[in-house]
Amino acid sequence: MAKTFKLEIIATDRIFFQGETEHLVITAIDGLMGIMAGHEPLVTVLPTGELKYMVDGQWKYAAISEGFIQVQPDRAVILADSCELPEEIDIKRAEEAKQRAEEALRQKQSIVEYYQTQAALNRAMNRLKVSQKHFK
Amino acid sequence: MPNMREIRERIASIQQILKITNAMYLMSSSKLKKARKSLDSTEPYFYKLQETIESVLEHTPHTKQLFFDRRSDIPEDKRKKGYIVITADKGLCGSYNHNILKYAEQTLNETADLSNCYLFVMGQVGRMYFQRRSRNENKASVDSEFLYTTQNPTLYRAMEIAELVIEKFKARELDEVYLLYTDMVTSNVQETRTLRLLPFERRHFGKAADGTIKKLPKASFSPSPEEVMDYLIPQYAKGIIYGAMVEAFCCEQQSRMTAMDAATTSAKDMIKDLSLMYNRARQAAITQEITEVCGGANGLKED
Repeated sequence: MAKTFKLEIIATDRIFFQGETEHLVITAIDGLMGIMAGHEPLVTVLPTGELKYMVDGQWKYAAISEGFIQVQPDRAVILADSCELPEEIDIKRAEEAKQRAEEALRQKQSIVEYYQTQAALNRAMNRLKVSQKHFK
Repeated sequence: MPNMREIRERIASIQQILKITNAMYLMSSSKLKKARKSLDSTEPYFYKLQETIESVLEHTPHTKQLFFDRRSDIPEDKRKKGYIVITADKGLCGSYNHNILKYAEQTLNETADLSNCYLFVMGQVGRMYFQRRSRNENKASVDSEFLYTTQNPTLYRAMEIAELVIEKFKARELDEVYLLYTDMVTSNVQETRTLRLLPFERRHFGKAADGTIKKLPKASFSPSPEEVMDYLIPQYAKGIIYGAMVEAFCCEQQSRMTAMDAATTSAKDMIKDLSLMYNRARQAAITQEITEVCGGANGLKED
């Protein structure tokens, strides 16, 4: 078995995952990034996106929205606004959120509102994407 | 001897109040249950966030980042300080509001110049309190547009607040931002606290376990420290504000529950005392009547 490191994924509403991982792949601002045990100390931000980590040779997937990661050679901590397994995602709710955001984008909005709606749309689309990809 | 009717009326009115306090007790205890649940699930995030940021900052190389700018060129009495104070929306929660307001007042008094203080008060009670005060003397100004409730904290509300203060910080309308809230230490112990939100402090030297100072290795930041910090700090502010909101809301419900429980108990005590008094008065009235009747009868007999 590959060398493992301690991974903690903590969302605002719960501890999503805590345990040993062999491999972690995150979506950073500029693309995917793989992390294994013994990685150099690193801090980077995680936009809304997908995340996968390997436990006992099994890939696990999750949808994550806005957070950051701190990596140290023997452990990694991810702090995020929300983190969900593909099977936990409420497709209906995400669908509704997406429509609501699209509707709002058609209206005249202030810049701040525009960014907020765009972020909401992003989150909804990410949820839908992850759930369609890994959970059927 | 008090009038019987008076006592009866008092008992009735206390019973009415007892009903209200009891209902409020039940309501706050169910709200507390909900607040506790959200507190329990948010607390790991809240503490981990503080811990992680601290360790991230220890490893941060020197940057000319805006959020680290301590603006030391501005003298102490010219610095514009912002305070986010979290109070309750309603009263009737024991000393909860009183404590946080007194604490805020104290913190404000320690600053050099009150006219450079800007208050962002969450919760109706605190807003009213500070607005009333700001009218009469040279007091800290209250942002009257800052209307946020403290009921059922949401991440979205925290984000709006974080964006607002960061915007003001960037525009140099504020030089320092603090967060004042009530922390739930244990279910019976609550503590008012101050957290500094902005600017950030960076420490290059961490203390090792044996107390000696060691230089910490720098972590790499991808894509660049500046960009990461640009993103990380609003994220951090949002998380911290959310955590504080959850803590404060839980404290509020806890205080209200305790206060209402105490009120119910003392109302019951009062009713007990009053009904004793009422019975005595009734007994006295009966005794007096009997004496009068007997007296009257005896008078008749002698004639």
